[in-house]
Amino acid sequence: MPAKSGSLLCCFLAVLPLTAVAQPDTLLELPAVVVSETAVRSQTMGSRTRNWSDAALRGRTYTNLGEWLSQESGLFIKSYGLGSIATTSIRGGSADHTSVLWNGLPVQSPMLGQLDFSLFPLGFIDRVQINFGGNSAAWGSGSIGGVVQLDNISPADSTYALAGRTTIGSFGLQDHQLRGHYQNNRWGIQTRVFQRKATNDFSYRIRPDLPEKTQTNAALEQRGLLQSLYFKNRPNQQISLHFWAQHSKREIPPTTVQNQSLATQADRFIRTALQWEANGNTTVWKARLGLFREIIDYQDPQVLLQSLTSFWTIRGEISGKKTWGDHHLMHYGLSYHWITAEADAYQTAPKQTRTAPFLVYRYGAGRWQLQFNLRQEIVDGKFQPLVPGLGITGKLIPHISIRGKVSRDYRLPTLNDLYWQPGGNPDLLPESGWSQEGGLDWQQGFGRHRLSAGVTAFNRTIRNWILWSRPEGQSFWSANNITKVHSRGLEYRLQWQFQTAAWSAGISMGYDYIRSTNEIAISQPRLEAGAQLVYVPEHQAFGQVYWQWNALQIRYRHTYTGSVSSLNVGRLPAYHLGYAEISYPVYWPKWQLSLFLQANNLWNESYRVIERQPMPGRHFRLGLEINFHQHLKKR
Amino acid sequence: MKQFFICLFTLTLSLALSAQTTVTFETFDLPAESYLDGSDDSGGFNAGNIFLPNTYNPEFASWSGWAISNTTDTLTPGFMNQYSSITGAGYDGSDTYAVTYAASPINLVLTGTAAGGTVAGFYATNNTYAYLSMLNGDGFAKKFGGETGDDPDFLLLTIKKYLNGALSSDSVDFYLADFRFEDNNEDYIVKDWTYIDLTDLGDADSLQFLITGTDIGQYGLNTPAYLCLDNLTTLDRTTPVRDHLRDVQVSVFPNPTSDRITVQWPEATSGAIVVYNALGKAVRQTALQYGDNLMSLHGLPGGHYTIVIRTERGWTSKPLIKR
Repeated sequence: MPAKSGSLLCCFLAVLPLTAVAQPDTLLELPAVVVSETAVRSQTMGSRTRNWSDAALRGRTYTNLGEWLSQESGLFIKSYGLGSIATTSIRGGSADHTSVLWNGLPVQSPMLGQLDFSLFPLGFIDRVQINFGGNSAAWGSGSIGGVVQLDNISPADSTYALAGRTTIGSFGLQDHQLRGHYQNNRWGIQTRVFQRKATNDFSYRIRPDLPEKTQTNAALEQRGLLQSLYFKNRPNQQISLHFWAQHSKREIPPTTVQNQSLATQADRFIRTALQWEANGNTTVWKARLGLFREIIDYQDPQVLLQSLTSFWTIRGEISGKKTWGDHHLMHYGLSYHWITAEADAYQTAPKQTRTAPFLVYRYGAGRWQLQFNLRQEIVDGKFQPLVPGLGITGKLIPHISIRGKVSRDYRLPTLNDLYWQPGGNPDLLPESGWSQEGGLDWQQGFGRHRLSAGVTAFNRTIRNWILWSRPEGQSFWSANNITKVHSRGLEYRLQWQFQTAAWSAGISMGYDYIRSTNEIAISQPRLEAGAQLVYVPEHQAFGQVYWQWNALQIRYRHTYTGSVSSLNVGRLPAYHLGYAEISYPVYWPKWQLSLFLQANNLWNESYRVIERQPMPGRHFRLGLEINFHQHLKKR
Repeated sequence: MKQFFICLFTLTLSLALSAQTTVTFETFDLPAESYLDGSDDSGGFNAGNIFLPNTYNPEFASWSGWAISNTTDTLTPGFMNQYSSITGAGYDGSDTYAVTYAASPINLVLTGTAAGGTVAGFYATNNTYAYLSMLNGDGFAKKFGGETGDDPDFLLLTIKKYLNGALSSDSVDFYLADFRFEDNNEDYIVKDWTYIDLTDLGDADSLQFLITGTDIGQYGLNTPAYLCLDNLTTLDRTTPVRDHLRDVQVSVFPNPTSDRITVQWPEATSGAIVVYNALGKAVRQTALQYGDNLMSLHGLPGGHYTIVIRTERGWTSKPLIKR
């Protein structure tokens, strides 16, 4: 068998494009979380999944989710600059083709269909999981490019702890966090607060021979509270409540072709999630209820503009999970979603109700597992596309597994698409299409060495793609189902880890090739048939090396982002970014003190993610964290 | 003395043969710091010997075509100040002027004794929104010259004419801003009322205005494509070639319509029915006859249109809405 494994590895390396080989290693993928029955819906069989545990996130809590994802996940994050809006594109999808779930509840804005990742403090999350590819059959509208799941997890029983972290950095960064919990075997309480300030007044050059410029009007201030309560009313039942309030105010910097900006944006939100779970002998019942309120206040005194938009959403879900024998598992439930929003551009506050029964059936026998998903969403009484999904995973031979998935995916029009005046179109159809993916994974240990590799191919066509366009003879832009987008690509991953009692080291690398093309020529906006979508890089590569000796950890990470097309200036050039971190924790029985230093954009690359938006050169962060933890005395 | 009489005779003769009318828009008598955007559903503005079409969309509170203004704000950037000229007044310190947004072709119709005649010229300048956008940039459009100051940017006004239903290939070009000079010190953005001579265009039924530029993206021109116009002078004929047929009772029904319309024409004269969209582009044309004229609007998107009826004797128009 090793011979076969070796030959497959050789095949994989042979097809690994030179562009990937040429790049330094990137990302160290942590071992995948074992799929449990409770994760049956979130880990769809046949799709590629990445997980990060609380331990992997703890060292980086000074940053926001957008920055962290761009450095760690291999996803392309469309960042407008330090602290500015950050959205994502997964597998060639648009920003609203990524579902973001917080404790199982979608948190994208119903007005825009997307989430600003820069508003999500990493310290408020205990686990991150990314499902690549379409997953609408499990999570509904918008789960086309991928699903980002962000969860809070109750602390270990019979513990209490307190932690404080302070980070200072370039461009006036000050980040302060406090986190504490008390958890006995019946109930627990956990509180997290943070405050973050930055002036973001970094310097940049348009061209090496031109004078240095300083970014202006880019300051931000954020503060937030996440309060969690856990209660076990019976040995087999648990109730959890999360209350998250956050206020963010940031200045909107000028573009490189704008002399001055005085614009600001304030984002305020309250998110409440209540969850109940009961474990029976063969059935697990779960109910979720979420109440979200968000307000965005955009002001630009220069142009006498004030735009106040807000929305309410209520999200509920009840589900049951039942097992039969050793082979069969059924997960069924009903989702409910009510939204309303206010904006000057809406004639009246629109309201929308979505109801969606869903079903998951999993069959496992020996080395093979099969999963079938089905979901039917009904929006204001109108049936949307019936969405099935079928996935399979299995071990071909020891150490080598194969996976495949076919699914139908869709995205409902946002409230802005439907009701924004002028241009909102209440007759819009949902975007929908089929996606397929297949992959091969190899994982094997050789003494103290552990090697793994994987390759995934995907293909997706979305019809009725919603685009704001100006049809012939119309004087204003409007939302229309006018195009079709074909996305396909290959994803390669390779990893080596070595461990002894005193030290460990690892290398990992990856390369993504993504073609995501508009298939129908359009005059306004000007889109050619076969042209790559804007801000979707065709090539991305990443690599990482790490070395740990006792407590000392050193890590270097390098990313390559290929050239992208933009809306106005043609193509933006490709860029390399380096990132290095050194951390040194000191342990006592109840205390831990940790010091870290991080360098971003180590090679001082001048680059743009979005046209006309400058990015900072080399910059640093220095942090100190103190932890106290204690086990409760047993009575 | 003989020479004096010859000069006097020549002057008198020339005045008699080439009477001219200058449209100053002062007759609108607007209250201070105000504008007309067509929200009264007037369909346009008659001033002197010209008609400035306007389409107002009450659903979106937006207009296309022309507006009339006397606002004077030369400092506030942005769309909210779209009606002000960068000079803070009309030509020569007058109060009132016309404003258009011409990212797509916009028409100005000659009427009365000017119809079918020559337009001598008019004064033009930028509005405050466009001027400050080109000077400083804004959230959507670049400052001219770009990041380095060296980009060869321009904003160009092109004027063509319609005569007997045909659009001229000849045009008069006027740069509202020009940054194409080798020496950046020569770059300019028009900030005064500047005369544009149109006599080279010759006789016309209407003028077409179009603004193009270099700051173009997938969504078209980013620079706000506004133009302020004042003191347009027509070289009038003693006998009108075409007149505004105010007395003709033409009916268009159903209006709003979903597809077909009937144009009921009560005169024995023939001519043409032309349907213009909100951007001033002719999208349907058919012959006009006495009685009921059936016309299909199949394939046209829903929105606001203008039906123009042209005969040898004159012209008239009706607004039309397609659902």
